[in-house]
This record gives sequence, C-alpha cells and structure tokens, in this order.
Amino acid sequence: MSPPADPLASLLAACAQRDRAAFARLYRETSPKLFGVALRILRREDWAEDVLQECYVRIWDHAQDYRAGLAAPMTWMTSIVRNRCLDWLRRPNLEVIDEEGELIEATESGDPGPLAELESGADARALKKCLDALEAKQRQAIALAYFKGLSHAQLARHLREPLGTVKTWVRRGLLRLKSCLEAA
Amino acid sequence: MNWRNNQQLQERLAAEYALGTLRGRPRQCLERWMREDAALALAVAEWQARLAPLALAVRPVPPPARVWRAIEARLPAAARRGLWDSVAFWRGLGLAASGAAAVLLAAVALISPQAPAPAPAPVVLKVPSAEMAEVYLAVLSDPKTNKPLLLVSAGRDADQMQVRTLDPSIRVSGKDLELWALPAGGVPTSLGLLGDAERSMVKLAAAADKSLANVPALAISLEPKGGSPTGRATGPVLAIGPCVKFW
Repeated sequence: MSPPADPLASLLAACAQRDRAAFARLYRETSPKLFGVALRILRREDWAEDVLQECYVRIWDHAQDYRAGLAAPMTWMTSIVRNRCLDWLRRPNLEVIDEEGELIEATESGDPGPLAELESGADARALKKCLDALEAKQRQAIALAYFKGLSHAQLARHLREPLGTVKTWVRRGLLRLKSCLEAA
Repeated sequence: MNWRNNQQLQERLAAEYALGTLRGRPRQCLERWMREDAALALAVAEWQARLAPLALAVRPVPPPARVWRAIEARLPAAARRGLWDSVAFWRGLGLAASGAAAVLLAAVALISPQAPAPAPAPVVLKVPSAEMAEVYLAVLSDPKTNKPLLLVSAGRDADQMQVRTLDPSIRVSGKDLELWALPAGGVPTSLGLLGDAERSMVKLAAAADKSLANVPALAISLEPKGGSPTGRATGPVLAIGPCVKFW
C-alpha cells in the first residue's frame, strides 16, 4: 500500500505540512461526497453545513494523524463526518426528526434506497452482494443504523420489534457480513 | 467488561462502533481504548473500511460556498509549518550531514525550506559515562510528537542490535515493524523486523562498526507481515531518530 498512490493521500500529507492550497483542493475534491454523507444522516441542510464545516476544520487540524497504512483517505474522512453526525443526532435538546415517517416507508416499501447506488467499484460490489445475502431483517436493521444513525432502541421502535431481537439482528448481520466479505 | 482478552467482544464492539449502534458511555470508552490499543484501533479501521462503500454510495451534493468561507475563517491566520512529514522525509532524504543534531536540522531544512520548523525536543539520557560501553545508540521518537518510542543499541564490535520498545502501543496487530538504516546520502536500507517482545534483537550483516559507521539515523516503518515487499518503506514512519557513536 503505497501512500502516494492515492492523490488524496498526498493532499492530506500536504495539509499536515500546513499547505492551505492543498487543503482547498482537498475540499473541492471531497466536499460534495462528504456533504452528501452528512445530508443523508442528518437530513437537514443547515445541520449538514455546520457539521461539514466542523469536520473540515478537524481534518485540517488532524491531517498529521492520518495513517495511510490504516485507512484510505476517503474512509478516514468519511468516518470523521459520520462520527460527528452521530454525535449531532445525540444532542440532548435535538428535536427528533423523522420519528415514524418516510424512513420506515422507504425501507418497508421495498425501496432499495441507498443500497441501489452501491454499484461502482469492486469493494462496493462485494459489499452489495454480501448485504443481499443477509436476511431481510438483518439488512434493514444494518442499513437503518448506518444511514440514519439510529441506535438499537430507535431501531427497535422503528421496526416495532423487541430491543433484544433487534440487537441480535444487528450482531448476527455484522458477523455474517464479515465472513461473507472475507470469503469474497 | 473484560474486553482486552476477549477478541470476539473486541470485534463486536469495533463493528458496532463503525456501524454507529455503539452509543453513549461505551462509545466514549471505546474511543479512549482505541488510542491505547493499536489492535483495537485496527479492528475499528477495518470495519470502517468494510462499511465505507455504503457511506460513499451517496449522490454528491456540492455544499454552498458559505461553508468553505466559514472553514477558511476558522483556520489560523498565519499557517505555521508543521513538523516534518514522515512520507516527505522518506522521499526527500538525502543527508549529507552527520552528527545527531545536524541530521535532524538538515532533515527539517530539506522538508520545509520555506520556514524553519520548531527544533525537536532533546531526549536526555542519564548514563554514568564511566559505565558506558562503546556502543552505537539511537533513540527513535514519534516524528509528530517527539515522544521516544524505542531504544536501539549495538556494541561497536557486535553483529546484532538490541531494541527495546518503550511504548508498546507502537505495535499494530497483523503488521510488522521494520527497522531502517538511513545512510548519509543514500537510500534507506532495511535492517530487519522487530520481534514482538519488549526487548528484541536485530541481526546486522556485519559488525556495528561497519554497518552503522555511515548511518546517522534510524527509522521504524509499519509494514505488512513479513516486512516490506518492495525493499523500500511502504507504510508510515512511526519512529525516527539519530544514531550516534557513544564513545
């Protein structure tokens, strides 16, 4: 795994050297995708803008912590955005969005939703194949947790199933996902 | 919760952390443990990579211009050059100088010619000089924090080096640590892989006086199991430091 192979890794290395032009380029090349990630989880543009802003400041501040051997640049940055979104949704005073509405409809109506967009790239194809191989309930729980940032308790409420059942779906689903991906 | 010796539990926590279903205090605890435990950090990184295609399967939406303006406004007004970046260090290494301080300063000057970077903090070794054998000695530190991570020593006539790991968190499970000689004016050459124990030995091709006389610095890189497949460092440089004659 050679760090310079991914141009984003070189940009991150330059950011660690406090190269602001590189940071501007990194933002231009990655912000549409990461804004999309934040929007999908938060579902409100104003929140997604705030989170994106915080995350890029964090990426700039922590560029030197990026280890090319541990994660691809986009994976590293996506994790930062996802984590911040999840923190955001956990704020105590947050009015709860989408409590019962379109989210459930989308997942229960058989709408493939975001999973349908999982087409390009070998990693994405393998993941799609392995997600498709899960039981429907496991797949639905994992997708809801990942895309919407739902906790076990929220999953249980939304899926109208006991908490223990939902936890088991998630746990078994993840285990099967891993062994499927490793066998691929 | 005894998670340290329970690999299954660690794996599950890593997965649920990456998925987002690990919440509240357990999530915070795991984040703290990840900083202390490289194997756990790796397990989390692997899960994040497994699930990343999901996150990235999203329609790109260019954010409004005000987001970038707000980000720029929050960056420090005058960008200060950071400490030398390890990848750039490997690429730009062409050391002509010898001697510990000169090596470090030359490296800094090579990497960031526009502005001087802060000099690394000196590492003070308290060794009674009367008891000090004739050894080659190196203290390898984290290139970003300057925290000393490993001690390397070799008697001048010995054909092996003693390596002592000061901070076990440098290890990453499933990966090997490779020790490199950074000869003056030459390309880095591998000295071998570190053992897993706190103290390990690395065999030298010839007596230290031959192998290390022209080596002003050593470094450790993170490599796949079995070492770098290319003969050059492929992973990040985790530790680096001057190698000096102690007599």
